[in-house]
Amino acid sequence: MSVLPIGLSNVSSLMQANLVSQNINSEQAQLLKVENELSTGQAISTPSDNPSAAAMIMQLQQTLNTQQTYNDTINTASAQLSETDTGLGNLTTLLQQAQQIASADVGSDVTETQRQSDVAVVQSLYNQALSIANQQYNGQYLFGGATGDSAPFVESNGVVQFVGSSQTLENEVDDGISVSFQANGAQVFGSLSSGVTGSADITPSLTAQTRLSDVGGAGSDGIEPGSIQLSNGTVTKTVDFSSASSIGDVVNLINQAGVGGITASITGQGLTLTGALTDNITVTGTTAQDLGIATASGGEGAGNPDVGSSLNPRVTLLTPLSTLDNGSGIDNSGLTITNGQLSKTITWSPTGTVQDMLNAINGAGLGVQAEINSAGTGINILNASQGTSLSVGENGGQTAADLGLQTLSLSTPLSQLNNGQGVQTAGGATPDFQITARDGSTFQISVSSATTVADVINEINAATGGKVTASLATTGSGIVLTDSSGGAGTLSVTPLNASDAANELGLNVTASGNTLTGADVGAPTSNGVFGDLQALMNGLQSGDQDAITAAGGNIQNDTNTVIAVRGQTGAVEQELTRQQTDLQEQGTATQSLLSQLQDVDMTTAVTQFQTLQTALQASYETAADTLQTSLLNFLI
Amino acid sequence: MSLNGALNIGASALTTAQAAMQVTGNNISNLGNANYSREVADITDLPSTEIQPGVYMGTGVDLSSIQRQVDESLNSRLNSAMSDYQSANTTQTYSGQIETIFNALGSQNLQTQMTTFTNDWSQLANDPTSTSQRQVVIQDGQSLAQDFNSLGSQLDSVQTSIGSQLNSLATNATQLAQQIATLNQQIATSQGAGGEDNQLLDQRDATIQQLAQLVNVQTVNQGNGTVNVYIGSEPLVVGTTSDGLTVQQGATSSGQPSYSLAFTSDGGTVQATSGQLGATLTAQTQLNTVQQQLNSLAGGLIFGLNSIYSSGQGLNGYTTVTGTNQVQDPTAVLNSSAAGLPFQPVNGSFVVTTTNTQTGLSSSTLVPVNLTGQPTDTTLNSLTASLNAIPTVQATIQGGKLTIASTDPNVQISFSQDSSHVLAALGINTFFQGSDANSIAVNSVAASNPNLLAAAQNGDPGDNTNALAIANFPSTLQSTLGNQSWTDSYNAMIGGIATTSAQAISDTQSTQDIQQTLQSQQQSVSGVNIDTETVHMLQQQRSYQGAAMFISTVNQMMTALMQITL
Repeated sequence: MSVLPIGLSNVSSLMQANLVSQNINSEQAQLLKVENELSTGQAISTPSDNPSAAAMIMQLQQTLNTQQTYNDTINTASAQLSETDTGLGNLTTLLQQAQQIASADVGSDVTETQRQSDVAVVQSLYNQALSIANQQYNGQYLFGGATGDSAPFVESNGVVQFVGSSQTLENEVDDGISVSFQANGAQVFGSLSSGVTGSADITPSLTAQTRLSDVGGAGSDGIEPGSIQLSNGTVTKTVDFSSASSIGDVVNLINQAGVGGITASITGQGLTLTGALTDNITVTGTTAQDLGIATASGGEGAGNPDVGSSLNPRVTLLTPLSTLDNGSGIDNSGLTITNGQLSKTITWSPTGTVQDMLNAINGAGLGVQAEINSAGTGINILNASQGTSLSVGENGGQTAADLGLQTLSLSTPLSQLNNGQGVQTAGGATPDFQITARDGSTFQISVSSATTVADVINEINAATGGKVTASLATTGSGIVLTDSSGGAGTLSVTPLNASDAANELGLNVTASGNTLTGADVGAPTSNGVFGDLQALMNGLQSGDQDAITAAGGNIQNDTNTVIAVRGQTGAVEQELTRQQTDLQEQGTATQSLLSQLQDVDMTTAVTQFQTLQTALQASYETAADTLQTSLLNFLI
Repeated sequence: MSLNGALNIGASALTTAQAAMQVTGNNISNLGNANYSREVADITDLPSTEIQPGVYMGTGVDLSSIQRQVDESLNSRLNSAMSDYQSANTTQTYSGQIETIFNALGSQNLQTQMTTFTNDWSQLANDPTSTSQRQVVIQDGQSLAQDFNSLGSQLDSVQTSIGSQLNSLATNATQLAQQIATLNQQIATSQGAGGEDNQLLDQRDATIQQLAQLVNVQTVNQGNGTVNVYIGSEPLVVGTTSDGLTVQQGATSSGQPSYSLAFTSDGGTVQATSGQLGATLTAQTQLNTVQQQLNSLAGGLIFGLNSIYSSGQGLNGYTTVTGTNQVQDPTAVLNSSAAGLPFQPVNGSFVVTTTNTQTGLSSSTLVPVNLTGQPTDTTLNSLTASLNAIPTVQATIQGGKLTIASTDPNVQISFSQDSSHVLAALGINTFFQGSDANSIAVNSVAASNPNLLAAAQNGDPGDNTNALAIANFPSTLQSTLGNQSWTDSYNAMIGGIATTSAQAISDTQSTQDIQQTLQSQQQSVSGVNIDTETVHMLQQQRSYQGAAMFISTVNQMMTALMQITL
């Protein structure tokens, strides 16, 4: 309301009337505002009412919305986890049942009939386990990970194969806090737990196309594409790599800088800077360290090149096969892979990429998953099938050796063979087996002192004097005996002195002509719920007590795994509940803050309303009086 | 001295009282006329005559003039206060309109729609293969786009109304200037005849006041009774001639229509800083700023979200996909202005994966996008060539738009790891299409096939990594938004609007106070008080009665004289 100067010499009647109407107008406007506040309950209804408070209100409302999102996620995740928990509980019960059967059916007093009837029970448990494994919640497979909407466990020819993903889905339940709301199906059911780990480091060489994100950097902690100081002793320039995305970009940027005659090139796994005879190459900066080309403070000295250290490039799907093993490449003859009953020769194009190689292995339908190891230095082949043994061997070349994937190599310790059972020998110098050559000559061999496969081969070759040669299979995997005695008999291996070594070295097999191809006793057999239940059934059917006991033990391990996973799931569920309580408390606090800012203080508003009402009434009365009073009233 | 002389005195008193009474009557009758300036009858006694040496006698009274009660300097201050008040009031109207359009504290606004949309992505992350949730994402994405469209068109209609308002205000101002010129002419004529026509002066003051409400004016009185009117330093009315105001339409750098005010005669710029015209011009600038901010929010959403989205994969890949953005010159480097893309790619690379649906096997190829300022930098043509080098992939350019198709019906194409943002720039494998608030829409390819919605980053259909990244979009820093997050940019825009609006409200209040104060001062000089006039009336009545009585008395005296004579 305007403040009028008092002491006006002349009071205009028009002004008087205007003033009255202005005052009433202004009071009515204020009253309307308070009325609006009272009816909406909000002191601030548009941002301009109080811009700074409005900014806070918007911030708080956004916080509330985010909290709501987290809350929704927690509800979904909790429901799915609790379903998973139920599934895991059921799985535990049925595994314990199988275990009881395993221990009850061992012993002399168990009848054949009882065992056969238990086979049916275990078969039913097996079917139940499979149905749990492919259980769905809300259209999603509980144990399928990120695979989507196809069943993660597939049974074919009595072998259960995991075709799901061991990547479990995560979602955010608070700023920066993600939880996984799935259990890893492969872990629960024991798939992918065994396989062949590539022992060879096949770190590739750099190419111009190699992405900076695909190299570990000289310090193995990535490359931060900042800038470097590049100097030749007279000229110093800053080279900015912030736009660089590949090694080729780095090289181009250094060459573009044109410091003296300094040029960069890719050498193996690193970069090399060379200059003219007068150039004293000096490179500094943290990015230079990341790129492995940082020099000592005095530089490399005039004319000396700056040979960078390895940038630790990672093997990726896109890596060309020719660049593997620091540019040496690998032998591309291919692999022979046998998984249980399935066996295939795998070949690929030498000009392809790692992905082509993995595709060839994974696409062969062998129930295996080939992958790049987490460090990006080699290849692993995991067994996705249960209860099968996975053998990886050569296809006439040395591909498996180059990749470090041989299940049986010269250096394999005997103790690792037969799934870690090793080789039981007669001991001392007592012969373990006898080789009969085709000409009838026999050789007695002791492998008690051998510790590796190479030792065994040497023992055989030393004993046979050239008539029978032992070697590793060039195709497939195993020890091969070749007869060159020229006889017409049968090449054979016979165990001696109750030693199991011939059997456990895979040599107790029938020869074909001059060649006796041993079995791959280095091939690891995969366990897992289904494999172990199948083994139990097989044991019960055949009455093999050792097999039943072994299966029982494995099922015990499976049970422990399931219980452990269930524990983890429970812990996550608990964490979610705690998080939800936390969110609710935060929500309440946010709401109360919001209400303090935005909500109208009823007491103040009502008081204000009454005051304004009184003021308005007063204005009305004053108006009526002022406007009616006139000298004219008193004349006549 | 004679009785006749006395009669004359009486007669002069009668005439003067009548005339003064007319002035009072005129004052009273204009009691409610705001433009009226109170008039005061200036009464002086007539020159006296020397009836005998050294003795002078009065000869009566005369109404020498009728004084108009005005304070010119006060009037001019009031005019300027009126300009300011109208200016603030107009600004408040427009900023209030803009504020209402955004409804920032309401239950439904752009921010809540954005939250709904990103929340949908978060829910999709909980169940990435759910087709129904995918539909929800698309629908809420469409609602978000429509929200932008509707905000854009509402701002556009404010823009249109500003344009037509400016035109009508300018026409109005031109007419007022003409009236002032005409009045100048009439006043000069009346002054030339030696008189002053108060009614014409009142009318001119009122016209100038009306003009002052439209635009800031200064007046300079000329000796001949005319008034020159200036806007800033430029004349609008000089003597009896007037110029006019014209609205010229141009365009801002971002293509929005923009209006400016010019003199009709020479097209010179009008320095309208206040009044309704000045405020409407300012409102236009504010509106353009808000439009730019909204467009930048839309652009930030389109390019920022697409940059994440385009590195993702859906439940299945594409058999064919066409970019939504056109490249003007396929031989131009992709981030150059000659390429004409609404969003610029950067140096980097992306991966094209072809998946055979029969075998389930994928083959990936790295496609480099070189944008380091070398002659070998990537153009649309060279990108097409690199894509064509990939087995089973055929890339073609049609009308500047890139199409990537599979040549084998069993092979589907997907994209990942796009560090160059070239896919987002070309509009391939994107969620949103368009470039600003008016054109933003959900990419029709994604909208028509929910299975293509890219929730995965690693190629597994059930992966949710991309959905999670998109759910976090509003709080992620965006280079297209000046390294601010979308939410912060939005809050800054609303904050700007709120501050302008709050400022306008407080300005309106304070300028109104000033105007009212000055008005009351002006009224105290020029306004009519009914009581004062009543008193004047009584005075004049009494004066008339007295004069009549005087004449009657003189008459009796003359009668007496006549009787003696007879």
